[in-house]
Amino acid sequence: MTRRAEAGLIAAAALVAAVGVGIVEFTRGNWLNAQVVVTFAVFAITFGAVQVAVRLWAPGGSSLLLPTAAFLTAIGFIEIYRIDGDLAAVQRWSLLIAGGAAVGVLWVLRTSGVAVLRRYRYVLLAVGVGFLLLPLLPDAWPIHGATVNGSRLWVRIDLPGLDRALSFQPGEIAKVLITIFLASYLAERAEAMSTVHRKIGPFKLPEPRHLFPVFIAAGAAFAVLTYQRDLGASLLLFGLFVAMLYIATGRSFYVISGGFIAIGAGLVAYGAFDHVQRRIEAWLDPFGHFSDAGYQTVQALFAMGSGALTGSGIGLGRPDLIPAATTDFIFAAVAEEMGLAGSFAVLAGFALLVAAGFGIAIRSRDRFRKYLASGLTVVIGLQAFIILAGVLRIMPITGITLPFMSYGGSSLVANMVILALLLKVSDEERV
Amino acid sequence: MPALFFNIIKLLFLALLFLFLFQVARSIKAHIGSNPGARSDGFAAEAVLLSGSGDSERIRLRQQGHVFGRSPEADITIDDPYASEFHARLGVQDGKVSVHDLGSTNGTYVNGRRVTGSRTVVRGDTVQIGKTILEVR
Repeated sequence: MTRRAEAGLIAAAALVAAVGVGIVEFTRGNWLNAQVVVTFAVFAITFGAVQVAVRLWAPGGSSLLLPTAAFLTAIGFIEIYRIDGDLAAVQRWSLLIAGGAAVGVLWVLRTSGVAVLRRYRYVLLAVGVGFLLLPLLPDAWPIHGATVNGSRLWVRIDLPGLDRALSFQPGEIAKVLITIFLASYLAERAEAMSTVHRKIGPFKLPEPRHLFPVFIAAGAAFAVLTYQRDLGASLLLFGLFVAMLYIATGRSFYVISGGFIAIGAGLVAYGAFDHVQRRIEAWLDPFGHFSDAGYQTVQALFAMGSGALTGSGIGLGRPDLIPAATTDFIFAAVAEEMGLAGSFAVLAGFALLVAAGFGIAIRSRDRFRKYLASGLTVVIGLQAFIILAGVLRIMPITGITLPFMSYGGSSLVANMVILALLLKVSDEERV
Repeated sequence: MPALFFNIIKLLFLALLFLFLFQVARSIKAHIGSNPGARSDGFAAEAVLLSGSGDSERIRLRQQGHVFGRSPEADITIDDPYASEFHARLGVQDGKVSVHDLGSTNGTYVNGRRVTGSRTVVRGDTVQIGKTILEVR
């Protein structure tokens, strides 16, 4: 795809967002108003600016990523706008900031390329783990953690002279930093880790010391689960570790042992934590827990069911009845108002993103870039899977954002940074 | 009939979504078609030039093809007295690599058999131009 076609598709995605906002306004009895124009402008400016940055600093970058991401963001934004106009106004600012972050990443890496990240990997790891633990800061401090809906994954910064605290989810950024670290760590160790040390039955075991990272992975994920009561993030982190070990070594041992550890940890968590217990019960029998733990799931099922093939029409359903419809359950809102057809469009968008990401990984020449591109793609794909499967009741619901679509500034920034890194890797593959 | 009207708007919007995805898919197709390194169905799009001195040179085949020959004006100049000025052309079409002999004096050979006109080659085939051998990968 040429850059020109890419620009055209970005404009088309901005148009989708504007048309959606226009339809919402129309169902409320208003004609075209400023919201439509502002929405179009914000989308065009954000993704247009990133594209200009790509032309300048990553001219060979893949042209599939930006239009697809803009498309997903547009669909999510329409539902956010439809459910809560104030949140949508915040989301527009977040989008501009996220675009700025992507441009910043491309600018920083303009001459050195992604290879420079290898040099700072331990710094990145330290910052990443620090970010993960940041929400544990006590409430009395000016920078402190905050508990929202039982999960402690927020950080608030109280600024003097500002009545609203600045808040963000550091875990979203941490996952990107940890992915960069893993890619560079594994790029050096992969060979040693894939050599066979001893065989037990069908399993080819590597030297024990190479298994160390697996246990660190499990430990980190379990710590997040325990202290922050955040199921989604711990599942995502653990899945990312296992997927990257598998990609780097090609040994199914890591996947199988990872699966057993996950099941074991899940059973322990089911016995030990009441919030895990409630989630699993609500998953197995949501209608039996309609009045408490199962309420959200049941509302989502009703919403998706009533959406049928083509949906109720934007602005004509009741997605506002689902708790957290703008964040975790945005997909249920899309399925209600745009129907199965709209849901398929969303799934096609994610499939395209993941395919483009793995395509970049396959074409990359050296290990680090391969692992980086596949790791970043796994983060987007796995996160989308975890929350979509939760909303669709394929697995227990674990609160996590749907990349690009959910309301949330931290998530948008993290995903746009991932996009910028993928664009830079795909630029370098052609050298 | 407001209900009908809203239904039409709804369907038009869904059509817009799928039109967008269709355009992306079409762009991907065009992108793959013009990508010199693209492979499909196991067909090769890369040729390795094996010269007499043991060096090899990789050539990523592009869609419009490369003309191989002794002339400095050929796309890929071969330093081989047995090759003609413009000897043969290798091109990619629908993911398949084909060889066209351009009326060379000493002929173009695929796996040792002389090519008359053009023929399709698959991965692993060797193409001989003069005394120079290309391996298609």
